[in-house]
Amino acid sequence: MADAAWHTALYGGSAALVSTVMAVPVALLAVRHDGPLRRLLERSSYLVLAVPGLVIALSLAYFSSRYADDLWYQTAPMLVMAYAIMFFPLALVGVRASIAQAPPGLEDVARSLGQGRLAVLWRVTRPLVGPGLAAAFCLVFLSAVTELTATLILVPTGVQTLATQFWRYQQNLAYGQAAPFALLMIGIAAVPSYVLARFFDRLPARATTT
Amino acid sequence: MTEIATRPNGALGTTEASATGGAKGVTVTGLFKAFGRHAVLRGVDLAVPDGTVTAILGPSGSGKTTLLRILAGFVPPDGGTICIGGTEVDGPQRHVAPEVRRVGYVPQEGSLFPHLDVEANVAFGVPRAQRRAKVAELLEMTGISELAHRYPHQLSGGQQQRVALARALAPSPSLVLLDEPFSSLDAALRASVRLDVTAILRQAGTTTVIVTHDQDEALSMADQVAVLRHGQVAQAGRPEQVYDRPVDADLSRFVGEANLLAGSIRGGRADTILGSLPLMDGPSGLAEGTAVLVLVRPEQIQVVAPTPGGGLAGIVRHSDYHGHDSLVTVATGNETLNVRCTGSTHLSPGADVALEVTGAVVAWAAPTTPAP
Repeated sequence: MADAAWHTALYGGSAALVSTVMAVPVALLAVRHDGPLRRLLERSSYLVLAVPGLVIALSLAYFSSRYADDLWYQTAPMLVMAYAIMFFPLALVGVRASIAQAPPGLEDVARSLGQGRLAVLWRVTRPLVGPGLAAAFCLVFLSAVTELTATLILVPTGVQTLATQFWRYQQNLAYGQAAPFALLMIGIAAVPSYVLARFFDRLPARATTT
Repeated sequence: MTEIATRPNGALGTTEASATGGAKGVTVTGLFKAFGRHAVLRGVDLAVPDGTVTAILGPSGSGKTTLLRILAGFVPPDGGTICIGGTEVDGPQRHVAPEVRRVGYVPQEGSLFPHLDVEANVAFGVPRAQRRAKVAELLEMTGISELAHRYPHQLSGGQQQRVALARALAPSPSLVLLDEPFSSLDAALRASVRLDVTAILRQAGTTTVIVTHDQDEALSMADQVAVLRHGQVAQAGRPEQVYDRPVDADLSRFVGEANLLAGSIRGGRADTILGSLPLMDGPSGLAEGTAVLVLVRPEQIQVVAPTPGGGLAGIVRHSDYHGHDSLVTVATGNETLNVRCTGSTHLSPGADVALEVTGAVVAWAAPTTPAP
């Protein structure tokens, strides 16, 4: 069980990191350089939400076997990639909101107050953008931890995550053995949920300043 | 750690004391800036004497915000030089970064740091050692001491502007820039905040450049008004100079309401439909008989009772009532004139009036060929 929990957290955490990092340039374009093309790019990424995880997992598997000589099929990087793609829109929502909190005008002001680029990044950009990035990370992590369909297809052979293990036991009607996995999933998900709740509690107050 | 490394060094800090004595201020020479193929500034020359307030007045798109951003160091110019407090900050092969220029900047929306309270906002640019005393002094000066622990979203627009001003003044800058600082405030608040800000700037004695498209604001706040037009300073001078003696007809319309009458020079005076008017600076180079454009400000025209031979007869077309005064449009022959009347004068459309001019006027040679 500890092994399953470790892998769940590892895959979920990596996916959250990857999708948050991927969302930064898209959000930057959308917020700071608004234009029809950029907006289209941002809007279209939300379409991913409508695509079932199964489809994304199968396309990645197909792509790997057809064009990449089975590269990465049923390996951790591909599973993480699948999660990152599936939950990219969630990351984008969080990152976008956080970048909107730090308009470039604030950085200009900070520099005119005698702060160099690094100091501005640390004293202005980080505190403003940080919570939103953390929120994006949590959202993706939360979703990846409980994801099942794509995981079943792409999980590395011999590895179980909490979700696949839970699914296995309950398929065999072994509800008693399945229960602790479900509990653990809830436990792992509770941490980012708490962080998220705190972030969104603070958000409305800030939004009124602009 | 990085904060200490990038802060202007002690040597710059100590020049502060001597800055009060010398003739420093700001000098801008031949400033050019283009974005792509569009030239925004085409040779701006401007001198701001030390410790005075200069308003840069210009319509939107005249390049005034670009000028301000270049002064702040956010954007390097394409040509020209800028000296602030006796130091060249922009010039050939030279561009001093904004963080070492010692130029305070108050943006249009205030742009307070939303994650910091008022006290921390004001303290942002002050070295740790002087923080306590300096912040208390500025909160006091700007009258926001009781707001020290509020966050920006808990402040009104006027309060936010004061905090932004206190924050800009806190590091004792050589120059403070204000970018349309009152445009986001409603009309009632604007006048009072403007008065307060002017008083604070005078008390601080900091050299100030304020950018605005509002001529009232420019005329009332500044020691010097510089009108920016097509990327150049069309005229710079004391407010009354710019208002009374604009350099050309176009400028007179931009700074205040203007009646421009066709006329000619007769006997050293301007002969117009409003009679023979004395010239403020004499004929000054305008030969007898020259066709001229004459500027008559609406408040120079008096409405008198229509008597035979008394003034120019006309009919009231429209009255724009402002309470303290009203701007009345009067049709006379083929001209319409704007006349400013005191609040107690009520004229309804269709009324017969006569007009007389008081005071001297300004005239420029008419753009067309002189009359024979």
